[in-house]
Amino acid sequence: MLFEFDSDQRLWQDTVREVIAKECPPTLVRSVVDAGADPAPLWRTYVGLGWTELTEPSEAVELAIVLEELGRASDPTPFLATMTQFGPLAPGEITPDQAGSAVFEGVTARADGDGWLLDGTARHVLDADRADRLAVVTGEGVFVVPQDAVTVIRTPVFDPVLHLAEVRFDGVRVTRPVAADPQRARQLALTGMALTMVGACRRILEMTLEHVRTRHQFGAPIGSFQAVKHKAADMHVAIERARALAYYAALMIAEDQPGRQEAAWMAKAAAGECQSLVFRNGYQLHGAMGFTWENDLQFALKRAKAGELMLGGAAHCRAMIAEEYA
Amino acid sequence: MKLTFDADVEAFRAEFVAFLTEHLPTPEETTERSRSSSHIPEWSRKWQRLLFDEGWLLPGNPPEYGGRNATILQQYVHLEELSRRRIYHSHNPQGLGIIAASLLSFGTEEQKRRWALPILRAEMTASLGMSEPGAGSDLASLRTRAVQDGDAFVVNGQKVWTSGAHDADVLLTFVRTDPDAPKHKGISCLLIPTDLPGLTRRPFGSMAGPEDLDFNEVFFEDVRVPAENMLGPLNEGWRIATGSLGHERTLLWVSFAAQLDALVGDFHPVTDVDKDRYATLVMDARAMRLLGSAALAREARGEQDVAALSVLKLLSTEASQLATEYALEAAGPDALDHPATTAPFAHMYHDSFTAGWFERYARSFGGTIAGGTSEIQRTIIAERVLGLPRS
Repeated sequence: MLFEFDSDQRLWQDTVREVIAKECPPTLVRSVVDAGADPAPLWRTYVGLGWTELTEPSEAVELAIVLEELGRASDPTPFLATMTQFGPLAPGEITPDQAGSAVFEGVTARADGDGWLLDGTARHVLDADRADRLAVVTGEGVFVVPQDAVTVIRTPVFDPVLHLAEVRFDGVRVTRPVAADPQRARQLALTGMALTMVGACRRILEMTLEHVRTRHQFGAPIGSFQAVKHKAADMHVAIERARALAYYAALMIAEDQPGRQEAAWMAKAAAGECQSLVFRNGYQLHGAMGFTWENDLQFALKRAKAGELMLGGAAHCRAMIAEEYA
Repeated sequence: MKLTFDADVEAFRAEFVAFLTEHLPTPEETTERSRSSSHIPEWSRKWQRLLFDEGWLLPGNPPEYGGRNATILQQYVHLEELSRRRIYHSHNPQGLGIIAASLLSFGTEEQKRRWALPILRAEMTASLGMSEPGAGSDLASLRTRAVQDGDAFVVNGQKVWTSGAHDADVLLTFVRTDPDAPKHKGISCLLIPTDLPGLTRRPFGSMAGPEDLDFNEVFFEDVRVPAENMLGPLNEGWRIATGSLGHERTLLWVSFAAQLDALVGDFHPVTDVDKDRYATLVMDARAMRLLGSAALAREARGEQDVAALSVLKLLSTEASQLATEYALEAAGPDALDHPATTAPFAHMYHDSFTAGWFERYARSFGGTIAGGTSEIQRTIIAERVLGLPRS
């Protein structure tokens, strides 16, 4: 195996980085949070660039490259939910400009005439409040419903950029399930979240390095002190490990390999372990400066931490890995 | 990004596998164990000689030095096959991997003929005289002195931790030849036969037991070493010490990855806590292979990233340490026994002295201490990968 990007992928990564630096700078994220700026134009930019058309499994590595950079930038659009949660559950239903969301649990379908009625409540559904459609996993199959068929209330969460919502289904009528493989779909969801977390952790490290290079105490930049260096080195190693496992999961999806499931668990578990160390060390090394509202560090910290709390955290994923191996 | 190597690399692998299938010694033939890292049991001498003769010992070398001019990727799959089958590359690992390699990179034709060939053919074993009581992480501060006197260098001083010295025929020794120069610039490299007058070797036991004799103190008292035994130019030994050895350095991580893979096979989780810990080990082993193959890909393109290898060393040695500790705990009271056989055992991969988890855990500190401590690796990563300022 040769585990590095080929020249096309490197070029793609450079392109994606340039676009995001221009279109989704920290100032934009800050304006979304503090001034209520609307991220819809940014979403349309991604759509216009064709990024929402990376829906083929064979393009998983190219999509992964986008997801990592969006994680790094604390992207305020519904890209992650649309591309890694809705899309894989409803591949036949994708349209490039529509945002989607996914409900993985909490909803039952009971037969009613020539269709089903959906009931239940799902909490912390990513981007449900601004999705055009939702893909809903039930015991009877996966159904796609328009957002106006359900009751959606955005839940305030500690990450001010994230849109999570409670979704209530009261006898929502559906007539046909979509052709979907929920287990396969979940692999991309896990991998996508892992990549987002890895990107956010990279941002935490970048900001930390900038801080410790410029902050002087005792007549020297604090980055020259060994304890500081070692914490930074540990952050780097954790990120390298998680990043490798995340891209491996993407590669396994792209190549449609049987090890996809286990790779997805590993990606999510390693990303969780990574954010634990990177959050802790990154925050610590910023000193009091890291604890202010006005510091953008909070966006990366919160994005990384929130990822751990969604779709199953590191401990749960480790249990799944052990089951595969034992 | 590719999951498989190209056809030529896989064909190379298949050829090596066919060779192994035909020639591998049986468990009955391999019962004699090695006493130290410079003691090659008789069966292993024959095995190493066979590999040398067939060009399978160091495939990257030309045929006259036990190879077949293999590419870096081919060298990698060769190591992968050895480690998958738990076959030691050599029972004189530093002889093969450091001393012979240094001779081939820096030696004269005569030195290669006189020292490298016998070491490669397992006719002679070699150990490495580097660390001193006062020079460990700060190796450049070494003080063993060599003074030119006519056609010889007179050596006085002491080395320590010299693995296998008491069984070795020759020591590749780093000495101070110019005490007035800046410390990195006054070091030379000498090939010192161990039977020279004035050279005393004292093996000492390890934590594994007083009979585990690999470490040595080596004392030099007016040892006269022929001047032609200097490897490389006078005062330019530091280059050799830091191993401008290209491919060897790049592939060093393979042995660390192999250790982790072996642990995945050997650690048997029982409780839910064990399983949780086991999953971490599985991830560490997978990440090592992935990151290592990225380093390999760079090397194959002719790009070297020496500092990035620190990440591999740090990750794998600390992962091994954690995993052996967890395996020890999972084994429960049975792991108290000494000697213990709680860890599995492969007939061509003898753990030097025991197969117990305690010993394996204790030995894992060799990984985090030797070859650049974990603390040094972190500093290298911080300064050379992350660009943080020197102290």
